[in-house]
Amino acid sequence: MAPIKVLVTGGTGFLGSRIVEALIEAKSFEITALDINPPALGTQSYPEVKYVRANVLQQEELRKAFSEARPTIVIHTVAVIPLGDARYSTKGKEAVFEVNVGGTRNVLNVSKECGAKGLVYTSSVTVVLDELEVDFKNVDETWPTGRATTTYGQSKAAAEALVLSFNTSDFLTCALRSAVLFGPQDPTCIPILHGCIARGETPFILGEGTNLQDYAYVCNVADAHVLAVRNLLDSGTAAGEAFFITNGEPVTARDICIAVWKEFGHVPSFQVRIPEGLAWWLALGMERLTWMTGSKSTLSRGMILDVTKNRYVSIAKARRVLGYEPKVSLPEAMRVSCEHFKQRWSEQEKR
Amino acid sequence: MPSPMSLIYYAFHPTELRSIIQWKVWHNPVHERDESKETDALKRCFYFLDMTSRSFSAVIKELHPELLVPVTLFYLVLRGLDTVEDDMTIPLETKEPILRNFQDVLEQDGWTFTENGPDEKDRQLLAEFNVVVEEFKKIKPAYKTIIKDITKKMGNGMADYVRNAEHDTNGVNTIKDYELYCHYVAGLVGEGLTRLFVEGGLATTELLKRPVLMESMGQFLQQVNIIRDIKEDHVDKRRFWPKEVWSKHVDKFEDLFQPENKEKALSASSEMILLALNRADDCLYYLAGIREQSVFNFCAIPQSMAIATLDVCFQNHELFKRNVKITKGEACQLMIESSQNLQMVCDVFKRYTRKIHQKNNPHDPNFLKISIACGKIEQFIETIFPSQKPPVDAKHKSPASLAEEARLKKEAEEAKWDNIYMALAVVSTITVITGLMLFIAWLAGARFDVAFVQFKEQMGQLLGIGQASNATAPSGHSEL
Repeated sequence: MAPIKVLVTGGTGFLGSRIVEALIEAKSFEITALDINPPALGTQSYPEVKYVRANVLQQEELRKAFSEARPTIVIHTVAVIPLGDARYSTKGKEAVFEVNVGGTRNVLNVSKECGAKGLVYTSSVTVVLDELEVDFKNVDETWPTGRATTTYGQSKAAAEALVLSFNTSDFLTCALRSAVLFGPQDPTCIPILHGCIARGETPFILGEGTNLQDYAYVCNVADAHVLAVRNLLDSGTAAGEAFFITNGEPVTARDICIAVWKEFGHVPSFQVRIPEGLAWWLALGMERLTWMTGSKSTLSRGMILDVTKNRYVSIAKARRVLGYEPKVSLPEAMRVSCEHFKQRWSEQEKR
Repeated sequence: MPSPMSLIYYAFHPTELRSIIQWKVWHNPVHERDESKETDALKRCFYFLDMTSRSFSAVIKELHPELLVPVTLFYLVLRGLDTVEDDMTIPLETKEPILRNFQDVLEQDGWTFTENGPDEKDRQLLAEFNVVVEEFKKIKPAYKTIIKDITKKMGNGMADYVRNAEHDTNGVNTIKDYELYCHYVAGLVGEGLTRLFVEGGLATTELLKRPVLMESMGQFLQQVNIIRDIKEDHVDKRRFWPKEVWSKHVDKFEDLFQPENKEKALSASSEMILLALNRADDCLYYLAGIREQSVFNFCAIPQSMAIATLDVCFQNHELFKRNVKITKGEACQLMIESSQNLQMVCDVFKRYTRKIHQKNNPHDPNFLKISIACGKIEQFIETIFPSQKPPVDAKHKSPASLAEEARLKKEAEEAKWDNIYMALAVVSTITVITGLMLFIAWLAGARFDVAFVQFKEQMGQLLGIGQASNATAPSGHSEL
């Protein structure tokens, strides 16, 4: 059987590169990795993968790359994720929407034009869960999108709706709503948590500390993408559908922090519980202070909501329809990921 | 007679005392045995049930009449097997054939066994086992088949275990061995009981299609017992904690009990607790398959006790010094909560899961795994009893939800009138009663006229003071 042509947008990114690896492992795909950046120095690139440079905002660049690659299935992972304070503000909303929604529209149009049979879109749990004031316990895909309050959640919801509206009998689309990703080379999750150690923020517990949250190991999410590609090629039962993809192991935010810190040999020597109400006022104060001084702080009201609410989902639908099963469990994934960072940072120190 | 210590304890824990009183006073058995219809042999069987089981006899005796006798006999048969297996004074060559053929004993009229050592506490049961055989022959053939089948499997499992001399010197080796042991002594009981429940029409047949659930029911109880009894078993020179677990923390099993190894012993115990905790969601799932209240209580009460016991054992170094257990008051509270419905049992599990989670020690090697196990239980409870519903968007309301809204409006209207009628009823009741009381008082000779005059005088005095002070003001005013 001839290998099936798959194009991965954002193919040198954190998730994209892992999807490329998972596709290589599956041994039945001919892979093109499209990205605005070439593979970063020090990360692995594969001789069997064709790397193309293109910007999803430039229709012509995209069209050229797609007409050369002629993919049967497209995996679209490109997105910008506003982090830190930007996550909770509406500043820069246009730029986020331009890439996350406009870029997705370009990729959809060009994919169809170039005769692709389907597209798998990397969505996010935030399409539902980013209504920050609300608790979400074990929610499933019947919950409505479009209520998110963050720019990111809104942009992903709009793009996801667009992707699913493109689903027709000759162009099948589906969306995988990933939880917070972590893994080796993870640009955000682990470095941010690691940063708390140096700033002496680790003893403080915000809120009750009983609220559960979901996380996802990058390789498990990459596996889910390969399963979705196979589904669109075979039964097509995933077409027009969205799926929550997480590690299926909700834990409290506090415990995931401790687990990361422990990997770096740090266990808080004492713990202080800050009630949610107090934390909110502290955050307000900090926000005012940082606004005046222009410095950066970890604490903000949005962030308090982010860590003190229940935010976990059910992955029963992905298990049932895609046959998804998180292969690497949270403790093992955490160990592997932190090991990578320990090595990288010790090498940096030597240099 | 309660000890002075317990009196002091309950003086400081009134809610626990309240639970004890509540359970003793208000608990009505779902079904009661009818002693007038029982034969002497059956009465003797119930006598042995009380003798040999502390925790199970109460719940067994409340079982549905259909299963009361079969389950009692099943229990006594297994207890008989256990009594043969446990007795170290019986030589292997006598023991093994009895264990392997115990299912045939059940239909041999007048079978008894008197070779138990004099110290064996349950030896009388085997010495009079003929009463069990006599009653066993009378139960429905379907129940007989199930009990014999389980007896055979368990007897062979026990025989394999006693033959394996290694267990006597080293105890259980791997986690797999440990779970196999628990399977023989408890998982099989779960299977037997489930088949009896389904045969009797008191549980859904689905339970037989997911055998892992009934296995977990037995495993959870047995593992919790093994964790709790570590000290007692050690004194009796028995080891059930698998070497695979404790050898990660200490070199020799005895080292677990050394005070200087406190942290290591706690790490080993939390790993054992983690193994058990991973079964908890299966147990709740199983309970959802039960269709009859007495069977539900029979299954749920021990499970609730088990999760509460896990909580007292967790991160508790006393475990290695003495037999830790839940208090009587807590036990009664758990019995009250576990003899109602699944939702209340889920609340119990959630409460103890959170207590365990709160004690989880960041230094523990299994910190994250325990956290995940706790999260799994909560998520499972959320799947069977969702606490939230997807919001209905105001913008696109379907006709169904419009109809729903009209219904809610109507209900609200009805509720309003209910409230008005209720208020009227209350006011009129108070009026009638007050009137009646005054009338009776009058009949009894109350002098309302005198009271009224006195009342007027006193009020006049009170107001008079007020009038005196008021009186100056107008006069002052007139001077102006």
